[in-house]
Amino acid sequence: MGVSLSISGLTVLGSGGRTLLRLPQLDVPAGSIIGIEGPSGAGKSTLLYALAGLLEAEGQVRWGDQDILRLGPAQRARFRATGIGMIFQDFLLFEELTADQNAALTALFRPARERAALRQHASSWLTSLGLGADAARRSVASFSGGERQRVAIARAMAAKAPVLLADEPTASLDRATADRLIDDLVTLARTTGTTLIAVSHDPHLIARMDRVLTITDGKLTGDRGKVK
Amino acid sequence: MTGPWNDLPALAQDILWALMLLSPALIVGGIVLRGYAPWPLVRAILWRFRGASALFVLLIAISVGMGIGLLAQERGLRRGTAQAADKFDLVISAPGSELSVMMATVFLQPTDMPLLDGDTYAAIATHENVEIAAPIAFGDSFGNASVIGTTADFARYLADDQIDGRMWQTAGEALAGALVPLAIGAEFHPAHGHGDSAETDAHDGAELTVVGRLAPTGTPWDRAILVPIETIWEVHGLANGHAPAKGTQIGPPFDAAYFPGTPAVVVRSKALWANYALRAEFTRDRETMAFFPGAVLAQLYRVLGDVRQIMSLMALVTQVLVAAAVLLGLFILSRLFHRQIALLRALGAPGRFILAVVWSFGATLLITGAALGVLSGIGAASVLARIVTARTDILVTAPLGWSDFHVLAGFLSVTLLLSLVPAAVVLRHPVVPSLRA
Repeated sequence: MGVSLSISGLTVLGSGGRTLLRLPQLDVPAGSIIGIEGPSGAGKSTLLYALAGLLEAEGQVRWGDQDILRLGPAQRARFRATGIGMIFQDFLLFEELTADQNAALTALFRPARERAALRQHASSWLTSLGLGADAARRSVASFSGGERQRVAIARAMAAKAPVLLADEPTASLDRATADRLIDDLVTLARTTGTTLIAVSHDPHLIARMDRVLTITDGKLTGDRGKVK
Repeated sequence: MTGPWNDLPALAQDILWALMLLSPALIVGGIVLRGYAPWPLVRAILWRFRGASALFVLLIAISVGMGIGLLAQERGLRRGTAQAADKFDLVISAPGSELSVMMATVFLQPTDMPLLDGDTYAAIATHENVEIAAPIAFGDSFGNASVIGTTADFARYLADDQIDGRMWQTAGEALAGALVPLAIGAEFHPAHGHGDSAETDAHDGAELTVVGRLAPTGTPWDRAILVPIETIWEVHGLANGHAPAKGTQIGPPFDAAYFPGTPAVVVRSKALWANYALRAEFTRDRETMAFFPGAVLAQLYRVLGDVRQIMSLMALVTQVLVAAAVLLGLFILSRLFHRQIALLRALGAPGRFILAVVWSFGATLLITGAALGVLSGIGAASVLARIVTARTDILVTAPLGWSDFHVLAGFLSVTLLLSLVPAAVVLRHPVVPSLRA
């Protein structure tokens, strides 16, 4: 199941004290499927990274009852390892590793007793996403963009994190591949109850989200329900 | 603590020293790696930056190999020369340079030397503490082999009585050193002098027959032909050391009146302590000089010791420079894979895991380079030892000693600890800019 998000008085400052993002209040129920749109440089990805605790910020970002901004670096890392799955625009895979190894990457720094289960889970996700055993054993260097992003999704889901953050997940894919990926993302979020927050310029992806936030000049300028 | 340590066998002490030197790195490595499995990532990073990694490994290997090879070679040379002088307990000659006399008698590098007369030789040979008093005569050659005149007792002593064939019995017979290319039964005419300036027809009347071959000694004497000293004297038109009434006697006792002179006498005493008494007794101003070749070599080693220290320092400086280059390289390489590191951090990898990945990468380069360096050092030392042996006939072997491993362990320990620095610096890189790069 997903986890709820509650943001209060979030401010992210850039170099020279410039305000990159200011978000007075935002509440997202557990299991929501949220899209974030807005022009380039508006602060969409900044919001995503702040939600993951990767940026220093003021205010509160509460995942369930845990305010990630109050945590120290080690605690934030632990929180991300088990609580947040992340997907990036250009996949960020280790080209030298197989799909299996990439999907189970987080097993390398998890306690030994959890590794086998995590690998098993990663492998199941690869299969669910259409990458069979043969493909899973191949180096991702030979994969297409769509296959790579599915490996990245399997990696994000392997830890059974209740939150999935996606930064422009379809930006490096052709239309057909992107559409299939959107199907995969939305389906897995719905079936697992994962809270999905995706930053995107892709109207196809935004159109599939239950709720869409618009960020302009570092401010929340739009918040609407499902776009049909 | 000193007591139990001294009670340990030398091997155990050496192993413990190596482990103690390595222990800081082993402890740090254990702490950094505990509970993590970073090797797939380390392999991936090594493969991605295989060119740069190979270059670093090569750099470390050359540095370690040079240090080990040179020091092993120097040690091998020292052992070889000491071994060559082993059979020359005490040398007595006319006063002059001990080094020159030693070079002439032990290492067969003849030089013009004044001669000891028959009375002096007799005094040495008849001394109650002397077991062997071998006059040495050199100056002739055959091909590249020196032809040395001496006594049968000394020839036997030199080869530990291991002679293939038999000992000479007449003035026309000779023993070939182990490396002389003359078979038993071969005949030859000695030339007067050595090398290009040798007069090959000066001793045409002297036809010598090889009747035996000495076992290898690992000294320049392996490439010498030994003949009765009477032969050398006779071919030079001198008295042969014996009164005419003695006929064809070979070997001592010599008749002082018919003793043409010898540049040096190699003495073996009946007891170790007697060497010192003999040295004192035959160290006489303007008459004789007695010295231990081993002591002369020790003086030489003291000079070489300074050279060794300089070489050690050079090796150390080279290794420090390489270590600095490796650290710099790790900084640069860690900049190259900063996105992968940022990804790991975004996925929730703990700081210690990041440290483990970067440190393991550096450790792999260092350990691989050091291992290759040891192998190349052994190879280089072996090749150099063969060249030196071939050029000098001094048997030089250059196996690695524990001191080499201790230096290596110290080098590895320091550099492995220093590798934590670039690993720690990586942790300070901001994650988000790297993810967006």
